[in-house]
Amino acid sequence: MKFLRVNLTTETVNWEEIPQEYTGLGGRALTSTMVSNEVPPTCDPLGAENKLIFAPGFFSGTMLVNTSRLSVGAKSPLTGGIKESNVGGTIAFSLARLGIAAVIIEGQAVDGKYFLLNIEDANSAFLVSAPELRNMRTYALTEELHGKFGEDKSITCIGPAGDSQLLSASIQSTDLDGRPCRAAGRGGLGAVMGSKGLKALIVDTKGKVPVNIADQESFKTSAKAYAKDVLADEFSGEILPALGTAVLVEAINAAGAFPTNNARFGQFDGVEKISGETMAKVIKERGGKTTHKGCTQCIINCSNDFVTEKGEFVTSSLEYETIWAMGGMIGNDNLDAIAKLDFLCDDIGLDTINTGNALAVAFDAGYAEFGDSETAIRLVDEVAEGTEMGRLIGNGPDAVGAHFNHPRVPTVKGQGMAAYDPRAIQGMAVTYATSPMGADHTAGWVVDQNLEAFGGTVNAHGAEGQVEISRDTQIHMAAVDTVGLCDFAQSGLASDEGIGNVYTMMSAKLGVPFSEENWSALGTKVIKTEIEFNKKAGLTNLDDRLPPMFYNEPLPPYNVVVKVTEEQLDSTFDF
Amino acid sequence: MKVYVKLQGTLPDHYQGTYPKAGLEVELNEPITVAELVDILGIPRERVSLVSINGRLAKADAIVPKEAEVKLLQQLSGG
Repeated sequence: MKFLRVNLTTETVNWEEIPQEYTGLGGRALTSTMVSNEVPPTCDPLGAENKLIFAPGFFSGTMLVNTSRLSVGAKSPLTGGIKESNVGGTIAFSLARLGIAAVIIEGQAVDGKYFLLNIEDANSAFLVSAPELRNMRTYALTEELHGKFGEDKSITCIGPAGDSQLLSASIQSTDLDGRPCRAAGRGGLGAVMGSKGLKALIVDTKGKVPVNIADQESFKTSAKAYAKDVLADEFSGEILPALGTAVLVEAINAAGAFPTNNARFGQFDGVEKISGETMAKVIKERGGKTTHKGCTQCIINCSNDFVTEKGEFVTSSLEYETIWAMGGMIGNDNLDAIAKLDFLCDDIGLDTINTGNALAVAFDAGYAEFGDSETAIRLVDEVAEGTEMGRLIGNGPDAVGAHFNHPRVPTVKGQGMAAYDPRAIQGMAVTYATSPMGADHTAGWVVDQNLEAFGGTVNAHGAEGQVEISRDTQIHMAAVDTVGLCDFAQSGLASDEGIGNVYTMMSAKLGVPFSEENWSALGTKVIKTEIEFNKKAGLTNLDDRLPPMFYNEPLPPYNVVVKVTEEQLDSTFDF
Repeated sequence: MKVYVKLQGTLPDHYQGTYPKAGLEVELNEPITVAELVDILGIPRERVSLVSINGRLAKADAIVPKEAEVKLLQQLSGG
């Protein structure tokens, strides 16, 4: 394996041997360690000193299923701290099979230059001048690049939001059908890519470089057992293929944790019109796909193709977080409008969560009525057009709140919260507040512990036990994001035997013993590294706070406020 | 007394009978708990993770009131 280092200032591309200190790292551990080592914490995130790092997971490229996760790391222009945002699709597997452990983008193009990075094969990569592609939307861009460089290329790119360096800009990556519908959405990393002067990575998908595994037989045995467990699990083997993540709409709404009308309510009256069950019914009636494979090596197939009444493609994949962000959060019960907004965000290169939050804050401030989906569509379109209001929406909820002088802005560290109101699922209050990533659900998703088994293993409306479950989950997730396992394939590690298979595969790949203690130490080290970077960047424990609305406004229908105290939040990572 | 039950997710596939799209009308002779209702429907309890009654979460030992609208939901994961 090697590193590919690309400097946009000098327009040079270099292959490097991997330094000893990065041995055994992949995904989030690799991006966060490299950002920590190489990026000055106080630098301008949109300046030449920041670096944008793409790293496949440690297991990417192996025979293990559902390991096509790519971590993208940098200093975030949205949070002001370190960021890792990960994405599926085809790029992680492709890079790993080219023998590339990380692509490091540094410097900044000068004189208005704009580039593509063409990773042609395992030995050849070069910059291609492409100033004419600036501001091109991602679907048109990928069509043009596939035509020029080959239909089988994996493309990872930015849209107009990234070109304009807006703070909600995503990095979009192609799925198995070549569509730019997979997003490293969070943290404004598309703006960092735009600031470098890099429009897209074009990656060869035919690499055959074997991934180093010290004990092939042992790895193979555990990988097979892991896959069997993923398929046998009710959620990943049955529910996700049928309904996708949208199945969560009814459940989270029932829990009163479905933030509605900018988190003024915890339940949405129009929920049955936008539920996963309704979405699946609509897709089937129209001849779309409720079950679809979006990522290399996937055996779950949680993706879908949403189509119009005439059967024309609208978007892929319509998922829970977007259905909430463009649905309940803005009071919109029109599923077709939600699908259109999802497509627009992919096409313009925007994080759907942050953009939904931004729209919700604007509506709450009186810009439009909640439920006005036509205005929502117009505003998102305006992001690409670069109007004043479009730029505000593209810069996210904090920018919109500041513009309208509106205090109800559901963010932590500038990043919009996801689809779980922290008042009704208090463990998410801890995760949102304390994750080094800003308000982020995947960093420590503790919904199941709060709600399952006819009422949960902890009281969802109380503080007791929430710090501990969030801390454990965040450490675990830092390790999961390091090996590159899909969140939804965690069913494979849910049992003692399952996580044992992961330890065995780590050991088999590394060639040294690997235990539960090593797993926990790995995740802890990643989070410590990230927190240390954030401290040096100027963030303090006062940034690990939820907005006052979550403490002051009881959330209907259960009329609860966040009870986790500031002292408890500060005890989450007191190292 | 009557209660109205909706099976969410893939639970309709596990119902012993034809599941009507509008949901089930269940006739009960006496008040029962949520867990007992799940048993009556023939759905394995381990397949049900959340239950709502009239839009509010209910625990396994809660009594189902008459005319209640009950939703049975499945295992949660992911995000």
